[in-house]
Amino acid sequence: MKKEETVNFFVSEAKKDFRIVEENLHNVIEEVKFTQNKGLNYFEKFDEEFVLNQLKKLKENQEANLSGKLFGVPISVKDTICVKGLESTAGSKFLKGYVPVFDATVVSNVKKEGGIILGKTTQDEFGFGTFSTNTSRVPKNPFDNERSCGGSSGGGAGFCAITRNYHINIGESTGGSIAGPASFCGVAGFTPTYGRVSRYGLIDYANSLDKIGAIGRNIEDAALLLEVISGKDDNDSTNIGEKYVVDEAPVKKIGVIKELLDSADPEVKKIIQEKINELKKFFIVEEVSLPLNFNYSLPTYHIIASSEASTNLAKLSGLRYGVQGSVEGKHFDEYFSSIRSEEFSEEAKRRIILGTFARMSGFRNAYYLKSMRVRTKLIEEFNNLFKKYDLLISPTMPIISPKFSEISTLSPLQNYSTDLCTIPVNLAGLPHISINAGFSKNMPVGLMAVASHLNENKLYSFAKVMQ
Amino acid sequence: MTEQSNAQLNIQSNAQANARPNAQSNTKSNTQSIAQSNVQVDSQSKLVNEKIMIGLEIHAYLDTKSKLFCSCSTDDTMVEPNSLCCPVCLGHPGSKPVLNEKAVELATKIGLALNCTINKDFFFSRKTYFYPDMCSNYQITQYEIPIAEKGFVDLSEGKRIRIKRAHIEWDPAALIHPEGMGKSNYVLIDHNRSGFPLIEIVTEPDLESPAQAREFLGVLENILSYLSVLKPNTTMKADCNISINYGNRVEIKNVSGFSAAEKALSYELLRQRKEVSLGNIIEQQTRAFDADLGVTKELRKKETEDDYGYIFDPDLVKVNLPEEYVNEIKENLPELPNQKTKRYISEYGLPEFDSKILCSNFVLTKIFDEIVNTNKSIDKKISARILTREVMSVINHDSLDLNEVNIDPKEIVSLVELIVSGMVSDKNVKQSIINYISGDKSSPVDYLNKNNLLISKNIDLGLVVETILKNNQKAVDDYKSGNEKSLNFLAGLVMRETKGTASPQKVQELLKSKMN
Repeated sequence: MKKEETVNFFVSEAKKDFRIVEENLHNVIEEVKFTQNKGLNYFEKFDEEFVLNQLKKLKENQEANLSGKLFGVPISVKDTICVKGLESTAGSKFLKGYVPVFDATVVSNVKKEGGIILGKTTQDEFGFGTFSTNTSRVPKNPFDNERSCGGSSGGGAGFCAITRNYHINIGESTGGSIAGPASFCGVAGFTPTYGRVSRYGLIDYANSLDKIGAIGRNIEDAALLLEVISGKDDNDSTNIGEKYVVDEAPVKKIGVIKELLDSADPEVKKIIQEKINELKKFFIVEEVSLPLNFNYSLPTYHIIASSEASTNLAKLSGLRYGVQGSVEGKHFDEYFSSIRSEEFSEEAKRRIILGTFARMSGFRNAYYLKSMRVRTKLIEEFNNLFKKYDLLISPTMPIISPKFSEISTLSPLQNYSTDLCTIPVNLAGLPHISINAGFSKNMPVGLMAVASHLNENKLYSFAKVMQ
Repeated sequence: MTEQSNAQLNIQSNAQANARPNAQSNTKSNTQSIAQSNVQVDSQSKLVNEKIMIGLEIHAYLDTKSKLFCSCSTDDTMVEPNSLCCPVCLGHPGSKPVLNEKAVELATKIGLALNCTINKDFFFSRKTYFYPDMCSNYQITQYEIPIAEKGFVDLSEGKRIRIKRAHIEWDPAALIHPEGMGKSNYVLIDHNRSGFPLIEIVTEPDLESPAQAREFLGVLENILSYLSVLKPNTTMKADCNISINYGNRVEIKNVSGFSAAEKALSYELLRQRKEVSLGNIIEQQTRAFDADLGVTKELRKKETEDDYGYIFDPDLVKVNLPEEYVNEIKENLPELPNQKTKRYISEYGLPEFDSKILCSNFVLTKIFDEIVNTNKSIDKKISARILTREVMSVINHDSLDLNEVNIDPKEIVSLVELIVSGMVSDKNVKQSIINYISGDKSSPVDYLNKNNLLISKNIDLGLVVETILKNNQKAVDDYKSGNEKSLNFLAGLVMRETKGTASPQKVQELLKSKMN
């Protein structure tokens, strides 16, 4: 990676000459408008005035912000993360009109470091999806507009791939929503250890799984943003109070997850295999196996995620925020049912029903509670491997980005299965990255690397070798 | 009322119901007839071989400065509706709860005082149900592992009521029906109390009568007062569960106050007896208590237990209370009613009855303790008697709240000193207390002085008695020949002479001893 291509370089230059900030921001704004006009749909909400106001403020307070690590850097934010004064809908029509009265902690952190909030990037509704197709504004892959950006942080990854200017995206991953789209769009996705980054201000999908992270054109940019947004936050009880500081860490031994490599499409497997052969020059690479995760992580994930999601979405009843319907002549039960029937997408309803079932009395033991126990076993399996290996690697996605026409023919089960590689690490709350490993049919193929809890810097060092 | 007459009453009311055409459908007159009979029923009474099982779920507000999961204030006096809210207690998307540690401390105190096991590792759960007063449509509460469980409370007659569990949860909003319940075609929601910390205390179904349930609530409230853990000026609310003869359980929701709980249960007891005697099966259901009519009304049938789909609240982490933390709270628990009762008896020689009455009222014991602190050598028995008899009889008679009556222990000390020196009659003591609490509120001693009700120190009662005896030889002779009335006559003369300030007992004693 050339130093000139990193945001760090931009920031040091911008501090010397504010015109660099202005020029970059104006170029980025033009790109946003261009992509919006072309229907590439990377942004759910873009308000030029909102952006220019921040630029104006930064210009007036340059001195005070000169130490900012993101001085003048446009930062786009996944729609599910609250930005004060900017409509935040988590990609759902149910939350149309919801303008948060507070900034998510990650957003305040970005502002403190001189970053400029660019807008809200598109995603699957509430993060429910792998292709960013479960929403009204479907982002299109920059490499082939017939194909998906991946999901659920699709808009952010798509824009990272298309922009020729300095910009980083705040994404969010529950079951692979950062790594997946990063892989499909050929950019760097960095998902931290669960609890590293405050979730305060994140519109929850599944709270015990949700991790805010970063998507950038390169690992340096993603790591820089992750450093800024991480750290202690008293507003999030699950925050572990460990700030991530970008640094190198030695990586010697790497395990290739056999089951995941073998499950990939031949074209994907070939590219990853080639990359692995190159990596052997730098690291000891061995084949490893994760049979429990391979067999049980998908159902475990979907039961836990849906159970949590179905209670999170109980909040939405058209009463206090978002869409309001006509209450005339309706008992509150009827009102809640009618507006929830109208406003939730089919996928949201599917997950609410699945999650509600899994936690119903009579089934709760067999599904929800059992999944919680299985989850512990799955984490143990990872931890055992990390006693021997610094990192584990696999393809990020078993396929290259599919065409929209192909996606529409997938059954829900086939659809969920495409997350096979990213689900286990997310269920275990492990930090992971997706880095481009090459191209197949001109579409990017991502390699995923996973480290043990809090060892993000091993991923950083590894990614720099990869790049 | 005897058991037999109670049974007769039941038969009678059944006969009435049967005599009326379409009695079953005519629920209004049915409920009225029971309500009327309710007045005559002693809630203590029990039918032969009848098994009454009552269990209570009591909700009370914990006295914390801020809400359970956010930093909003809990001081809701004189504030506009919906002014004590933030994104957390309004359940805004993106907001997250953070546990108020003070609530945990208070709940731990309660658990320990109720002889519970404290679960050092516990967590919070989401209880999901859709209702307009619940901002997120799930309540953050405790399910599998409550902070405290398996305790007990002892009642006056030695009856032990087992405490199943005590857990922490947040309160929903207040629903306001502007024109009264069921009359408005809209409701207003006030979120000021959304997120207030509640303790829910659940008993085992050990209570055997509505009166016992009332007694339990009183004993419980007293313990909680000793602990100073409850938000001031709030009432405990109870969900009352009752079944007879192992029939289905009926739950009466949200009954506010002790006497209402007793009334609701008494009514429900009669209603269930009547159903059973008609050969009907008691349906498992949830009922509401109408305090104005004194009747319970069906809210909904309960075929099965409610299904709230509990999950661990993934926004909150497991709480781990260190051993030392719990031990420290345990060591610093204040003296509780039973301990105090025993100490008053052993240390001050109070009669058990007086000690129990005193200790059953936290405010009263505070006054008593201050009296003793003011004058260590004060007569404790008389002090206790003044508080438990004279003060409480005025409070009860005038339906006052002892909390709101300003009683200066120093004034009571002065009064007791007068009583001990025999300078005031019981009747005047009573008058001075009535005036102190319900009259012009001048101090009892001032009142006695102002109205010349003290036996002047200049008057030698012995001398007065001797003079009276000397001047009424006939009455003395009559008394000596067995006419008891003469004693009263002579005492009257002494009282007149002392303008009623002398203690009648003392006068009688003196008269008798001088004549014998």
